Amino acid sequence: MAGPFVLILIVAGAYLAAHWAFEWLGTRYMLVSGAEYLVLGILLGPQVSGVLQVSALDAFAPLMILAIGWIGASVGSEFYIPRVVRGYGAAYRVAFAEATLAVVATGAFLTGALAWIYQLPLADTVAPAVALGAIATVSSPAGVAMLRGKLGRRVPAVRQIEVTTAIDAFVAIVAFSLLLCIEHGAPATGPRAPTPTEWAVISVTIGVVGGSLFHLFVGNEREIDRLFISIAGAVILVSGAAAYLRVSPLLPTMLVGAMLANTRRNRSEIRQALRRVERPFYFVLLIFAGAAWDPGTIAWWIVPALVFVLVRVVAKLGAARLAALLNGLTESLGPRWGRALLGQGGLAIAIALNYQLFHGTMLLADVVFTAAIVSVVLTDLSSARFVQSVVERYTQPAVDAPTPNGPSSALEAEPK
Amino acid sequence: MRRFVILALLYLGVQLMLPLGEQGHGSEALVTFGFLILAAYTVGELTVRLGLPKIVGYLFAGMAFGPSALSAVSTTAIGRLAPVSELAIALIAFLAGAELRWSDLRASGSKLVRMLGCELLLSLLGIAGLLVALQRWIPFLADVPGAKFAAFVVLFSSIAIAHSPSVTVALLSETGARGTVAKSTLGIVLLSDVAVVLLFTFSQTLARTIAPPAGAVALPSPGLVVWEIAGALLVGGAIGLIVALYLRFVHRELMLFTMLVTLFGASLAQATHVEILLTLMTAGFVAENVSHSERSEAMRSALERSAAPVFVVFFALAGAQIAIREVISTLPIVLPIAIVRALGIWAGIGIGARWTRAEVVERRYVWMGLVSQAGVAIGLVTLVSSLYPEAGASMRTLLLSLIAVNQIAGPVLFRRALVRSGEIDNRTGPNAISHSAPAVALDAARS
Repeated sequence: MAGPFVLILIVAGAYLAAHWAFEWLGTRYMLVSGAEYLVLGILLGPQVSGVLQVSALDAFAPLMILAIGWIGASVGSEFYIPRVVRGYGAAYRVAFAEATLAVVATGAFLTGALAWIYQLPLADTVAPAVALGAIATVSSPAGVAMLRGKLGRRVPAVRQIEVTTAIDAFVAIVAFSLLLCIEHGAPATGPRAPTPTEWAVISVTIGVVGGSLFHLFVGNEREIDRLFISIAGAVILVSGAAAYLRVSPLLPTMLVGAMLANTRRNRSEIRQALRRVERPFYFVLLIFAGAAWDPGTIAWWIVPALVFVLVRVVAKLGAARLAALLNGLTESLGPRWGRALLGQGGLAIAIALNYQLFHGTMLLADVVFTAAIVSVVLTDLSSARFVQSVVERYTQPAVDAPTPNGPSSALEAEPK
Repeated sequence: MRRFVILALLYLGVQLMLPLGEQGHGSEALVTFGFLILAAYTVGELTVRLGLPKIVGYLFAGMAFGPSALSAVSTTAIGRLAPVSELAIALIAFLAGAELRWSDLRASGSKLVRMLGCELLLSLLGIAGLLVALQRWIPFLADVPGAKFAAFVVLFSSIAIAHSPSVTVALLSETGARGTVAKSTLGIVLLSDVAVVLLFTFSQTLARTIAPPAGAVALPSPGLVVWEIAGALLVGGAIGLIVALYLRFVHRELMLFTMLVTLFGASLAQATHVEILLTLMTAGFVAENVSHSERSEAMRSALERSAAPVFVVFFALAGAQIAIREVISTLPIVLPIAIVRALGIWAGIGIGARWTRAEVVERRYVWMGLVSQAGVAIGLVTLVSSLYPEAGASMRTLLLSLIAVNQIAGPVLFRRALVRSGEIDNRTGPNAISHSAPAVALDAARS
């Protein structure tokens, strides 16, 4: 019985220490809290201190799946269609172009790079490379949120970055979920195993049917405590169903979150209910992801991880610049606005952990997970500084003023 | 109705999905967990409309979807969700302690002890007498020699008189009642937890002495029993002080912090071999009474919020574990025992209330809050069945059936008591009977 006691004591103490330390640092040096929990998880995990053993991690697997699903639902609840419709189209075109270019470029380059590094056929490295592409696409919204708080208003670039981080999350989740459908290890039950297309349809169906049913189930409930119980039940059930079928919980829960946010009048209450445990789940996810890290048997694991970080930086900067150029917004956004998208957050870890949980035995799964962790550790803390370096020019009054047809005015529009 | 249709569709959806997937990473437990929350929530809302407490709805949902009926919740999944139940019990105990104020306890402690004493004594004697009278129809008592017979009667009776802190706290949390009946009931239930543990330890020692079980099982030393109780007070007090310090100097992330504290407290109690419920109750009590009232209110509010979905699952799981067929088959014996137990509680509280000159509402209605049974009794039943495997199995079935009956009837009676005493209205929440301004504000916010 001493084991769990020590475990809880250490996790609780470490959590509080990390929380205080980074709140202090965050206030003074604009550091975004998050990566420290990942490091904490690594320190507590079997690779370093061994406080969290593999068996304990297995026991907490449902909690990890739930945390992944909750992040998906939170991402989905951000997609409020009336706001998207009222928004400036170019902003979304830029965001989609940037996300698509990033996932394709990173995935394509890493397919070749991994094949070269590990001397494998290209066909074997496509899946891990696409998973890394999806992870690379994710940009942390925490940096821009912190800066928006500091600026006290929404400057055009900030809004563009917000739109882009949301679309990045969407594209990353869709790409990753489709990958898991294609790479699905189907159970040996029934007359035949479903095809990848059928798995994709099943994955979307869980989300759409779940979203429709929970739309009716939640009703017009506005009392947060009661709403929380309904939404918790919905997210847990959908996450569990997706995990049971070995498809990613991220896509179905994102669809449920989006449907609930768009089809009910109590949207803000639904957001509030989801936010209630978002932070605890996020921290839990980071700590367990850190603890679950295993560099595997391959020596020099840091090499592909650093290659990934480098490729991601180049791909994000290039994709952002190209997307702005294609949409004629280079002047208003600036040539280096992609720097604001370099920070990586919880969703990247959720995707990596999801890959590790479902495909941990697959080739290069350890490389994918390690690369994601290294990237988050290196970029997450500074994500607010990255954003600041981009929006500095917009804090000047002359530039800050929204132009009638530019992204600012349209992006500022909030639905009534 | 709409929610029931959705629930039926979800049930069908889950059944359709099952052949396509495979177990792994506890995904089946998650599906069960999610479904159970929604089912219990739906049935709970219905029972409120019928004037019954929500937790009765949660229990019914568990029974309906559990292994005894529709089997949407498998026995394996129930096992995997055991940590949720453990967390719920820890949360309930901490919340229960936090509901008690030192000033109230000082003012009415002696009264509550005397009322409890009368109630326990009469219930114990009543049940023991009934067991003697029904000896030939009770499987574990028929045809057993005198010493064993006495041992089993004492053991059974000492478990059958236990109350349920979880039902009491959950119902007070649901209704927000803070009046005299609510407080006295809670006080008696919490004190009874200590008393029942002590009484059971005594009964167990007596039973082992007069009817030694097969195999050499060592008797618990008196020192160990004292440590179990006194250690719980010490450990709980220390945890409570840490919580109070946190509330004073940090006061952030209360929801996460309180969850961690309850988990930590339960693990610490297990590691130090002290009574878990009493440890967490003491922790809650110390934290509540040492802290500034506004801060402790915030802590309680955070606890209640985090506890809401956990309660739903806890009671639904409790319902799922009720073996409906066994309960029905044992009803002819269980019902008289349940009635005698309720009469013992009623008479004992009546005598105790007159003796202590308690308020009329206490005399009339507190007994109704003491009928519920749940976790503590189930834990003690398990101990007996491991001590006397043959007779224990039969005793376990009977006691679990008794607990099931009281688990369902108890909350209904307690709610009725709160309504009749005017502490809640007949439809929803508290009727503004509260002793502190923050509590009024909290209750108003909740309702």
